[in-house]
Amino acid sequence: MTLSLGKIVKSNGHTDYVCQIYGVHEVDVVPQPDNYALGTFVSVELTGKHAGYLVGLIYDTVLLNPDFGRLGPRLSPERELMSFAPDYLNERAVLVGINAIGRIDGEGRVYQGVPLLAANSDALVQQMTVEQIQGFHMGADGLNLTYLPVVVQQDSPLAYHLARTVLAQLADLLPDYQTELAVLADDLNWRTQIGPMGGMQ
Amino acid sequence: MNQPLGRAKGPGPTPHSFLFVSPDVEQRLKVGEFITYEASVDGTWQTILARVIERRPLRLYPDAFSGDPQIDPNHVAAIVGYSGRTSELFEITAEVIGYYDADLRDFINPRVPPHVGTPIMLAEDEYLSMVLSRVQPGEVGAATIGWLLSRARGEVPIAIDVGAVASTHLAIIASTGAGKSYTASVLIEEMLKPNNRAAVLVIDPHGEYDTLAELANHKALGSKRYRPEARIYRPGDVKIRVGALEQGDLRYLLPNVSERMSYVLGRAYRRAQQMSRSRSQQEDRWTLNELDEAIQREGENEEDSFDRGSANALLWRLRSTIKTGRDQIFDDQEQTPLDELFRPGRCTVMQLSQVEARQQQVIVAALLRRIFNARLRTKNNSVDAGDDYYLPYPVFILIEEAHNFAPAGADIVTTGILKKILAEGRKFGVGVGLISQRPGKLDPDVLSQCNTQFLLRIVNPVDQARVRESVESVGRDLLNELPALTKGQAIISGMAVNTPVLCHIRRRHTPHGGEDIPAPEEWVAYFDDAHEQMRQRDAAPLQQPRRRSRLFKKE
Repeated sequence: MTLSLGKIVKSNGHTDYVCQIYGVHEVDVVPQPDNYALGTFVSVELTGKHAGYLVGLIYDTVLLNPDFGRLGPRLSPERELMSFAPDYLNERAVLVGINAIGRIDGEGRVYQGVPLLAANSDALVQQMTVEQIQGFHMGADGLNLTYLPVVVQQDSPLAYHLARTVLAQLADLLPDYQTELAVLADDLNWRTQIGPMGGMQ
Repeated sequence: MNQPLGRAKGPGPTPHSFLFVSPDVEQRLKVGEFITYEASVDGTWQTILARVIERRPLRLYPDAFSGDPQIDPNHVAAIVGYSGRTSELFEITAEVIGYYDADLRDFINPRVPPHVGTPIMLAEDEYLSMVLSRVQPGEVGAATIGWLLSRARGEVPIAIDVGAVASTHLAIIASTGAGKSYTASVLIEEMLKPNNRAAVLVIDPHGEYDTLAELANHKALGSKRYRPEARIYRPGDVKIRVGALEQGDLRYLLPNVSERMSYVLGRAYRRAQQMSRSRSQQEDRWTLNELDEAIQREGENEEDSFDRGSANALLWRLRSTIKTGRDQIFDDQEQTPLDELFRPGRCTVMQLSQVEARQQQVIVAALLRRIFNARLRTKNNSVDAGDDYYLPYPVFILIEEAHNFAPAGADIVTTGILKKILAEGRKFGVGVGLISQRPGKLDPDVLSQCNTQFLLRIVNPVDQARVRESVESVGRDLLNELPALTKGQAIISGMAVNTPVLCHIRRRHTPHGGEDIPAPEEWVAYFDDAHEQMRQRDAAPLQQPRRRSRLFKKE
C-alpha cells in the first residue's frame, strides 16, 4: 500500500522539487520521519492521460518554523494555542527536496534519467512500494541505474552519500545484483571515505 | 574453472600493450606472469597470450593510516567508514604476445588490444606448457632445463629447442655466483640425454666442469641402449699441432714482438711452410724445429746486424714461449683427433686452468678454426673418413669466460674465427655457446649474434647496459628483473623459446663443481683436535734410529 507523504509546493528547476510533508490533521496516516528519510524513492503524480508519475529521490530535508527568531511577548501560553489558534501552529512544516530521476508512464513503461514531463504544484507525493522500486530498476537487460551519474553530479556535499544510500537499498531489494552493486558501492565508499582523507584515487 | 582476474581497461602505452584493472587479491599478477584473453581474429575466436610488464596501484590509503606500525591501515579505514574488500586495486600493463599458431609453431600478434571489459585470465598451466616451448619435453631436440618461475615447481616445464641453440648459438650471462656454470651444466646434461645425444665440447679455463664426468653413471641421463660419455682433458692431454698455428697466432703468442721481428717471423713462417710442403705435401705440418731453423736462416741471410739481432730475439721468444713435448699442449706431429673430441653422446671438457691466458686464446682459436674447416670440408664432401678434417656430425662448443676470447674493443686471435662461426656456423653445423660474467667486456657484435640468451642475475650497471643493447628479444620489463633474480633463476629468450620466459633452472643430476671454497669453515677447522695433532706430528723432529747393539754386530 502506498503512503502519501505530502504535496509539491515549489520547484527550483525541471528536476528539483520541494514537497511539504503532511502534518497532523491533514491526512489520516501522518508520515513518520523514516517514511521521508534521505534517499527514499517517491512518486510524484503527473497530470494528463497516461502520463503516469515521476520517480524521485528525497535528497534534502528542511524544517520550516516561522517561530524561529520571534522572541517577542506572547498573549497566550503555547499549550492554549491549540484551542484558540490551531492555524498558527500549522505553519510549522517539514519540507523535503526531491530530485526527479525518471518516470513510469501510465502503461508501466520505465524511463530513467531526466524526465521530459514536469509535475504541477500540489502534485501528490507518495512513498514508492518495493514492487514499484524493483520495477523501476529492472529493464529487459537486467538492472538499470542510468540515473546514478545525475545523482552523483549534483552540486551538493550529500550527493555521494545519497548515491551510497540508494545502492544500499537496492542491494537489499535486488539480491541477484548484489555483486554489481557492491562494485559501485565500493567505489563510492572509497571516494567518500578515503579520498577526502588524502587517499589515492 | 579459470576465473577472470581482471578486466581490460583500454590500450596501453605502446601499440602492442593494453591496460587492465585487477584487485589481484592473491597477488598472482607478478611482472613476467602470463595472462590470456579471448578475442575474435578474422572471425575465429582465439586465446591471446600476453605478459604482465608493469603493475601500478590505483588506490592507496593516506600515508598517515600506516603511521603506527602496530595498527593495520585497513582497521583505520574501517573506522572512517571504508570496509571494502578492494582497498588495493591495480592497473596492470600487459604486452600482447599473440595467439599460438600450431602450424607455424609461433605466436601471431592480433595487432589490436582487447575490448574494454574483456575478462583477463591467468594463463592455464597446460596451455603454457604447450605454447611457451618450441618443443615438448621428451621430444627429440628438447632440453627441459626448468620450469616457469611464476608457477609451482614443475607445473609448466620449459623445454628449449636444442636444434635452435646448436645452430643459432647461445649466450649465458650472469654475475659471479649467479649460477651460470650450473645452468650450463644442466643444459649439457639435457643435451646428452637419450633424446638429444649431442656432441659437445666445453672450453673450461677454470676447471669447473670436471664433475660432468659423472654423466655416464647417472640413470636419468641414459637409457637401456644409450649411455652418455664424458671426457675430461687436462692441460697436456689435448694436443695442438704447431703447424696448425697461423702466423697471427705466433705473433700474438710471442711477447713484445717488434715490427722488425714480425717481418722476420713472416718470412720464416713461409719458409717453414715450404719445408712442410716439400716434406709432406701439406703446408701445415711444419715443426717447431723447422720454424726455429727458418728463423735462424733468416737471421743468417740478413746482412744488417740489426736484423740478425731481431731474428735472435725472435728465436729467444719462440723457444721460451712455445714448447712441444710430452706434457705440453703443442706438439710437432700429434694432434688430438676431432672425432675424439666430438662424438654424438659425448661431452668433452677441455680444462685450460694453469694455461697462460694468451696460450688459452691461441689454443681456442686453432681449435675453432680446425672445427669450422672440418665441418666445411665434410659438408662439401672434400674429405673422407679418416681424414684429419673429417667431422660428419654437427657439434656444439661451450666457451666459458667468453669475454677473454672475444673482448670488447680489441681484435684478438679468437675474435675473427668466433665471429665467422657465429655468422656462418649455422650452415655447417657448428654451434657456439658463450658464457660470461662480464658482458660489458664482451664484444657486442659477438653477443648480439647469439640468438638464444640465458640471462641470470646481473648487478653491474655496465653489464646490464651491454645486455640491453645486445639482446633485442627481451623487453625492458624483464631486463629490469635482472638484478633481482636469485640463484637458479634465469630469463630465457631468443630462438630456442617461443617467447621470453622467467625460468627456474632445475637441479643438476651431476654434482656441481663450481662451488666456492668455504673459507670460514676451513679457518675454524684449523683449530680442531685432528688438525692440531697433525700439525704437531708434522713439526716433531725426526727420531734418529737407535744404534744397534754391538752384541749383534758382525765381526
